[in-house]
Amino acid sequence: MGFWLELAASGLITGGIYAVVAIGLNLQYGLMRIMNISHGEFLMLGAYFTWWAHTVLGISPLAFLPAVALLLFLVGLLVYRLCFRRVIRSAPSVEVIEARSLLIGFGLMYVVQNVAYLAWGADLRGYSFLAEPVDIAGARFTENRLVVFGFAVVASLVLLAALRFTLLGKAVRAMMQSPTGAQLVGIDTAVLHPVVFGAGLALAGVAGALLSMVYEISPSMGEPYTVSALIVITLGGLGSSAGCLIGGLLLGLVEAFGMHFTNPSLKMLLSYGVFIAVLLARPKGLFAR
Amino acid sequence: MNTRSTLGALLAALFALAAMPWLASDFMLSLTLTCLMYAGLAVSWSMFSGATNYLSLATSAFFGLGAYVTGWGLGTLGYPVAVVLGGVVAAAFAALVGAAVLHLRGAYFAVITFGLGELVRHAITYFEKSQFKTVGRVLTDTPDSITVYLTVLLITLAAVGICAAVRAGRFGLALAGIGADEERAQTLGVDTRRTKIAAFALSAFFAGAMGAAVAVRWTYIDPTAVFNPFIGFQTVLIAMIGGAHTIIGPLASSVVFSLLTEFLRLRFPYAFLFILGTLLILLVLYLPGGLASLWPMLRDRIARGRRAALAGGGANG
Repeated sequence: MGFWLELAASGLITGGIYAVVAIGLNLQYGLMRIMNISHGEFLMLGAYFTWWAHTVLGISPLAFLPAVALLLFLVGLLVYRLCFRRVIRSAPSVEVIEARSLLIGFGLMYVVQNVAYLAWGADLRGYSFLAEPVDIAGARFTENRLVVFGFAVVASLVLLAALRFTLLGKAVRAMMQSPTGAQLVGIDTAVLHPVVFGAGLALAGVAGALLSMVYEISPSMGEPYTVSALIVITLGGLGSSAGCLIGGLLLGLVEAFGMHFTNPSLKMLLSYGVFIAVLLARPKGLFAR
Repeated sequence: MNTRSTLGALLAALFALAAMPWLASDFMLSLTLTCLMYAGLAVSWSMFSGATNYLSLATSAFFGLGAYVTGWGLGTLGYPVAVVLGGVVAAAFAALVGAAVLHLRGAYFAVITFGLGELVRHAITYFEKSQFKTVGRVLTDTPDSITVYLTVLLITLAAVGICAAVRAGRFGLALAGIGADEERAQTLGVDTRRTKIAAFALSAFFAGAMGAAVAVRWTYIDPTAVFNPFIGFQTVLIAMIGGAHTIIGPLASSVVFSLLTEFLRLRFPYAFLFILGTLLILLVLYLPGGLASLWPMLRDRIARGRRAALAGGGANG
C-alpha cells in the first residue's frame, strides 16, 4: 500500500509541475497564438535564479519564489517587446503568426540555452533543501516534494481563480473567445498581450524554482518540459486552464505507473503514445463537450 | 539571361562540383560536402513544407533513421544498398506517421514532428540497449571520401531534379493548392490526404538517404550524434531564409549558411549557437519572406533609381 502511494505521489508531483508549465503556455497560445517552443528555457532560468540566490546569497528558495515570479514577468515583458510584438502586428493571418512565432521560439531556445551555458557551465547543479523524510500512511516522502506539490497546485488554483473572478481575468477570457469583440468593448490589446505573456513566463519560472528544490538542474533541462506541456495542453484542450491542471496531473500519473510497469527509458515513448492517442481519438481534448 | 546561357552555367557548375574531389584540398572537399548535404535537405524539405505550409520539424528523425540503417546494414548490404534502404525506411516511417498526424495543422503539426526526433532516438536507444547491450556503433569498411562525396552529390541532384519536376506537374499544383486553401483544394477534387502523405514520404526519402550516405563520415555513430536536432533546425532555417517557395532560394542560402556556420563555429566555438539564434530572430522579424524576397526588392529599387536619374537628366537638359 505504502509503495503504491509513493508511486502515485511521485506521479502527482511531476504532474503538478507539468500543470503549472502548461497553464502558462496555454495562456500564451490561447490569447496570442504564440507557440512558444522556448517556454521550458524560462523554466530553466527560474531554476538557475533560485539556485544562485540560495547558494550565493543564502536566501531560502521558498522566500525567493515571489522574486522569481517578478523577475521572469519582467523578462517576459522584455521578450514580448523585442521578439513578438512586431510579429503579431505585422502578420497577415493567424497561421502566419503561429509559424513565425515558432521560428522565433527556436531562436530564443538557442539564445537562452547558450547564455545559460556561458554563464553557469554545463555541469549539473543542485542544493539540499528540506530533505528530511516524513511518514504519511505508511509511505515515506521527503518534505521538499510535498512542498513542491503543494505550491504547484496552489499556483495553478490561484491562477484559475484570478481568471475566473478578477476583471483582468475576465478580459483575458473575453479576448480568448473573441478578439474583435473584446476590443470593441474597450479591452486594450497593447496592455493585455505583454501582461499575459509575462504571466506565462512567471509561471514557468515558478515551476523551475520548485523543480530546483528537488532535482539537479542543467541548461538543457527545459526542453522536455516544453514537450510535456504541449502534451498536457492537448489533453486538457486549448484555452482551458482547468483542463491543463487535470491533464497535467493525469500525465504525471500515467508516466509514473507506466514507467513502473515497463521501463524508465520508455518514459518519452509513453508520453508520446498518450499524445498521439488523444490527438486521434479526441482532438479537442479529453474534457471537450 | 536566356535559357541557353543558364543551361551552360548549370552544366559548368555541375562539372566543377563533380571534379571537386580531384582538384580541391580535403578541407574544401569536406566543406563542399556539408554545403551539398544541407542543399539536398533544404530543397527536399521545402518541396513538402514550402508548398503546403505544413511546418515539418522531423528532418532530424528521418536523417537519424537513415544513419542507423547504414549502421546496421553497412557490413552485410554494402554502401549503395544501405543508402537506398535508408531512404526507403525513412519514407515508410514518414508515410506511417503522416497517416496518423497529417490532419493536424499549424503549430500542432510542427510540435508533433519536432518530438518525432526525440521519440525515434529514445526508441532506438532502448532497442539497441535491450537487443545488443550497446548504444553506439563503430562503422568498419567505410567507403573512401570520393565515393561518399559523389553519392551525396547524386542525392542532392536527384532532390533538386525531382523537386523541379514535382513543382512543374499536377502533383505540385495539388500541393500548392493545399498550401493556399486546403478545403478549397478538396472541393476541387484533390485527394488531399493521399497527396500530403505521398509528398511527406517523398521528402523524407531524401532526408533518410542523406543520413545513410553521410553516416560513414563519423565512423562511430550513436543516437545523440545522428539525431542531433541541430541538423533539422539548420535545414528549416536554411529553407525559410532562402525562401521556401523557390528552389534557388534554399540552394543559395545553404551555401551561405554552411559557410557562415563553419566560420562562426571555428571563430566563436562557444557563442556560435547564440549568434545563430539571434540571427534567426532578426531574420524572421525583419525579412519574413526570406532572401528570395530581397532580390525583387533590390531590382525595384535599382529600376526606380535609374528612372529617377533619367528624369533628373531630362530636367537638366
